[in-house]
Amino acid sequence: MLEVEGLEVAYGDLQVVWGVSFEVHRDSIVAILGPNGAGKTTTLLSLMGLLPRKAGSVRFEGEDLSGLPTHEIVGRGMVMIPEERAAFQTLTVAENLELGAYSLREKEAFGEALGEVFEIFPRLAERRKQAAGTLSGGERQMLAIGKALMARPRLLILDEPSLGLAPIVVEDIFGVIRRIRDRGVSVLMVEQHVEMALEVADYAYILETGSIVARGTGPELEADVRVQEAYLSL
Amino acid sequence: MSQLVAQSIVSGILLGGIYGLVALGLALAFGVLNVLNVAHGELLMLGGYLAFFAFTRWGLDPFVSLPLVFIVMFGVGILLYLGLFRFVTKAEIHTRIKNSLLVSFGLALALQALAVRFFTADERTISTAYSSEAFTLGSIRIPIVRLAGLVVAVIAALVLEWILSRTRFGKALRATSEDWTRAALTGIDVRRVYQIAFAISAALAAIAGSMVSLGYSVSPSIGLGWTLKALIVVVLAGLGSMRGIVLAGIALGLVESLASVWIGGQYREVAALVLFLIVLSFRPHGFFGRAHA
Repeated sequence: MLEVEGLEVAYGDLQVVWGVSFEVHRDSIVAILGPNGAGKTTTLLSLMGLLPRKAGSVRFEGEDLSGLPTHEIVGRGMVMIPEERAAFQTLTVAENLELGAYSLREKEAFGEALGEVFEIFPRLAERRKQAAGTLSGGERQMLAIGKALMARPRLLILDEPSLGLAPIVVEDIFGVIRRIRDRGVSVLMVEQHVEMALEVADYAYILETGSIVARGTGPELEADVRVQEAYLSL
Repeated sequence: MSQLVAQSIVSGILLGGIYGLVALGLALAFGVLNVLNVAHGELLMLGGYLAFFAFTRWGLDPFVSLPLVFIVMFGVGILLYLGLFRFVTKAEIHTRIKNSLLVSFGLALALQALAVRFFTADERTISTAYSSEAFTLGSIRIPIVRLAGLVVAVIAALVLEWILSRTRFGKALRATSEDWTRAALTGIDVRRVYQIAFAISAALAAIAGSMVSLGYSVSPSIGLGWTLKALIVVVLAGLGSMRGIVLAGIALGLVESLASVWIGGQYREVAALVLFLIVLSFRPHGFFGRAHA
């Protein structure tokens, strides 16, 4: 579904991502894990066309995404939720969801998507008239995911979905991510919470200072001594 | 209350309506593109000439030519965006303001020089059959051609508010103004939003120009003065409320005309700038604005 090969990204002279390659298969949850400053967010922004690539290729469903503007990538079904405050604070919940469907052309698809989002997050239906800025942290993350689902993505990309949330809320959000995968949406997520992310991910990559240093399924990585020492409190 | 004071209150409100109308466009470009267009007054000047020549050459009444002026200058706005301001919006948000100042200052000088070359430096006013007509309230005169400026300003603000709150494009515009990166990730074509917002901004300046050449006068050098008024109004009102901008325009018009009656005509501008400084120190987001993150 998504194939990234030899990705290199730099801010001016400062190179942050060094030849990163990974894949996301259909109907799977893939996690990119690693410490702060490893280049995780930079990698995602470059996939979405928001940062220029120095080298490497990004293919989504067999098509090369090079040179496509961000809104067209979204239109093709690859939707990213940026970290924190992903929804527009000054707009209402309903307006945010409506904008989420901006790339959809047909009216029926809008109604269907809205129904699905309210089914997954009944809370959002209750708060539809409220400004997004007045929601709690958990509700904001629900709105961020709901807004992204309105675009009917085939691949959903999440940047640190657990950031700033209480552990119990994080459990909920990860539960939702599983349900989304079960509905046929593939998921790529970036996380600092390695232990929790390994529980939901079907496959994971570990990114350190701009390079992939380990990869494998949850159990494989949990058995890896280096991963245990660096990330897991066993 | 003396008749002089009452008359200057009315004149101040009428002129203030135009200040508000000019400021609407400036605020739109600033709020959405983070572009401070100091050539905004020159776009007003062009609109004024367009209405003037439509009247003298083709006999088109300024109210008939108003939609035409809007459409032509909307097109000019698109070309200016593609030719100049597009490059400004490629920069980071924080460098856009100073880059746009440089670019638009150059544009202002160029438009002024071109206007002198093609339209001469003469002052022009559209004089229609109804130009000297006025409503009278007791001894106060309300000239029709100046009242029209206020009416157009109020209508423009209400239409803009309707677009921003009710239409799909308006919501995309608000989203882009809040955070362009997130807007792009939402599937919004940010470049297109910028282009149309800038074009609307230019067209609003131009219809203000129509009203200026009807109720007041235009000449090639009027641009900077109007840009400064619009800037003061935007600071008074803050970004975020269109009717707030028109109200702030009226407030500025009132302060100016009362200052010239009570303190003296030469102090109009001083009073306006003092008001500007007071608001800037105590309410940096303006009276109707929202704080930017």
